[in-house]
Amino acid sequence: MAAKRLRYLPQYLAISPFFVLFAIFGVYPVLYSLYLAFQKWDGIGPMQFVGLKNFEFLVTDADFWNSVGNTFIIWIMSTVPMTVLALLIAVGLNSSIRFRGLYRVAYFAPNVTSIVAMAIVFTSVFSNQFGILNALLRGIGLDPVSWLTDPWGIKVAISVMIIWRWVGYNAIIFLAGLQAIPGEVYEAARIDGATAVQTFFRVTLPLLRPVLLFSVVMSAINGLQIFTEAQVLVGQRGGPQDAGMTMVLYFYNQAFTESDFGYGAAIAWGIFVLVVLFAIINWRVIQRPERAEVQ
Amino acid sequence: MNRRGFLAGALGLALTGCTSPRVATPGQLTLWWWTRGLSENVLGEAVQRFASLKFVPANVGHDLRPKLMAVLSGDAYVPDMTMVNDDIAGYFGDADRFVDLNTLGAARLKSQYLDWKWQAGSTPDGKLLGFPLDTGPSAMYYRHDLFTQAGFPAEPDDVARAVSTWDDYFTFGQELMKALPGRYLISDAKRVFTYSMAQEPRKYLDRQGKFIGDQAHVQQAWARAIKSVQLRLTAGLFDNGAASGSVDQHAAWNAGIELTLINASWATSEIKESAPRTAGAWRICRSPGGAGNQGGSFITITSACPQPDKAFEIISWLLNPDNQARNYVDAGLFPSAPAAFGDPRSAAPDPFFGGQNTAEVFGRSAGEVKPAYFSAYDIDISNIYTDELVNVESAGKNPDQAWQDARKAIDRLLRRRGVL
Repeated sequence: MAAKRLRYLPQYLAISPFFVLFAIFGVYPVLYSLYLAFQKWDGIGPMQFVGLKNFEFLVTDADFWNSVGNTFIIWIMSTVPMTVLALLIAVGLNSSIRFRGLYRVAYFAPNVTSIVAMAIVFTSVFSNQFGILNALLRGIGLDPVSWLTDPWGIKVAISVMIIWRWVGYNAIIFLAGLQAIPGEVYEAARIDGATAVQTFFRVTLPLLRPVLLFSVVMSAINGLQIFTEAQVLVGQRGGPQDAGMTMVLYFYNQAFTESDFGYGAAIAWGIFVLVVLFAIINWRVIQRPERAEVQ
Repeated sequence: MNRRGFLAGALGLALTGCTSPRVATPGQLTLWWWTRGLSENVLGEAVQRFASLKFVPANVGHDLRPKLMAVLSGDAYVPDMTMVNDDIAGYFGDADRFVDLNTLGAARLKSQYLDWKWQAGSTPDGKLLGFPLDTGPSAMYYRHDLFTQAGFPAEPDDVARAVSTWDDYFTFGQELMKALPGRYLISDAKRVFTYSMAQEPRKYLDRQGKFIGDQAHVQQAWARAIKSVQLRLTAGLFDNGAASGSVDQHAAWNAGIELTLINASWATSEIKESAPRTAGAWRICRSPGGAGNQGGSFITITSACPQPDKAFEIISWLLNPDNQARNYVDAGLFPSAPAAFGDPRSAAPDPFFGGQNTAEVFGRSAGEVKPAYFSAYDIDISNIYTDELVNVESAGKNPDQAWQDARKAIDRLLRRRGVL
């Protein structure tokens, strides 16, 4: 009996490294943070059980809801232009142009560049008084914008950083999707007398739908976790009027700056609930009946 | 022994073998420090000098606090000694995790150090957790060249007399800005608030833990900050802790946009590095409103240290007046031991400040600072006020509304922390 159970031991051992590491660095911290969400803890001293107090505080915390709003606004402000831009780039890369390989690498490079280093470069671009962007605006006779102090300026700056970072990644994904569309479909469209614009909107886009949805889901996952861009551009406290305070930055701020780990954990679970709700909405969108016609 | 028994045994062995040591490097005495937190020359000499104790300085880079909290909460890999910044009061609630340096005979060295700094490292019930490292006495940095150009008094003593109070400073600034259009007296409102509060002997909580952060002294600092905005004396270049804050600030120094800068002594190295072209143009003098302190660190011994007396021997050598003078010369860390102020090495004329003896100005400021009680919540409370000042300055928020919002946020914070 024992021997029978142990028959697959080598196989289990072979796959165990992932599960062992995941249990230690994934499952355990997650469960522990749930425990922590019911405690009051400064990070060093003894914990004190406070029941649902942290959650009570969370739902009435205007700063938290402000950070939720900011996160979704920045997500929309970055995802919509990024998807359009990535699609245009993908179509461009799909056509027969010179140095195609070079462009593909160039567009993907931002995705693997150190984000902190890039944030410092972007800081010099958006800097209120001495930034390149404002110098440019002045050069063409426009009023400079306080990118890093105006609430909308801050959101634009963060969104631009996200777009810059992810547009190449998504363009490569779209490109793969475009190349998977069979040539016969285009041929048929041409025979039917469709213009280039008609072909794009009636043939390319519908056939690209699964890839587009993948990209939107991915950007939602990344978008709800915006942290570094905001932290490096406007600082840990979220900038003037908390305009750059995202959910994860707020969580980090409470736990690691203000040493309120119990409340930090409660915020993290609040974010979790919102992400689950968002994922359900996403899933409903994907399950729409049009999917059948794509396949 | 069947195979399962063998596996269980192996697992048990592996688990016990994995037990983490309590101190960072058993058998050695480790000191956590951060870049430019101590002179590397002094540290290097200490390694030689205390070779028999196996003294090991470990540079943890920036953000020491989260790292220290991680090892303290896990009670493993704790350093024997560690630097702690001016947020030392945040550790007073967990004083049992550190050694009371008074039990190691620290009291006999007390007279060599500034009294207020000594008190800042002591818990309300008198345990000395942090041994004095550096201080941050404030002074007013100003552009001697531009003052001269505008025909204003430009020598340190004359300027100090002209700006002796905050009101004088603002009036002086209005005149100066008329003579030098396009330039600003002050970087931002936040700075006025911070350095006005730095001069106060009372901060946000009293020693009994009662909130006093809405009383006259705070209201006065707030009113000064608001006034500086309303008189349009500020450039709006606030430091947000991110790189973006310093980009504009550094550019303003280089371009001469900021005429004065009230700041602590540690700003000298930042100005020198980021605005090298302005060498010789700056001077420093007594800050409007008088002496104040902002920042300054300590060294603590953790209760995990097996040889606290030996660790104390190392610390008291590292931070003796002689080495504090070297800290100032090598890393710009202003001493907490008055004997080091007049040391010929610290008192050498500084060409960046037109040959001025800057240690004299900072030393006088450091000597006049009044002892104050800092609570664990001071930094958070101060941040709430300055956040609102940024809103007033950058977004034109109504100052009364901003004050009320700040008070509300502080109430919520303190209620959650159980202070109110």
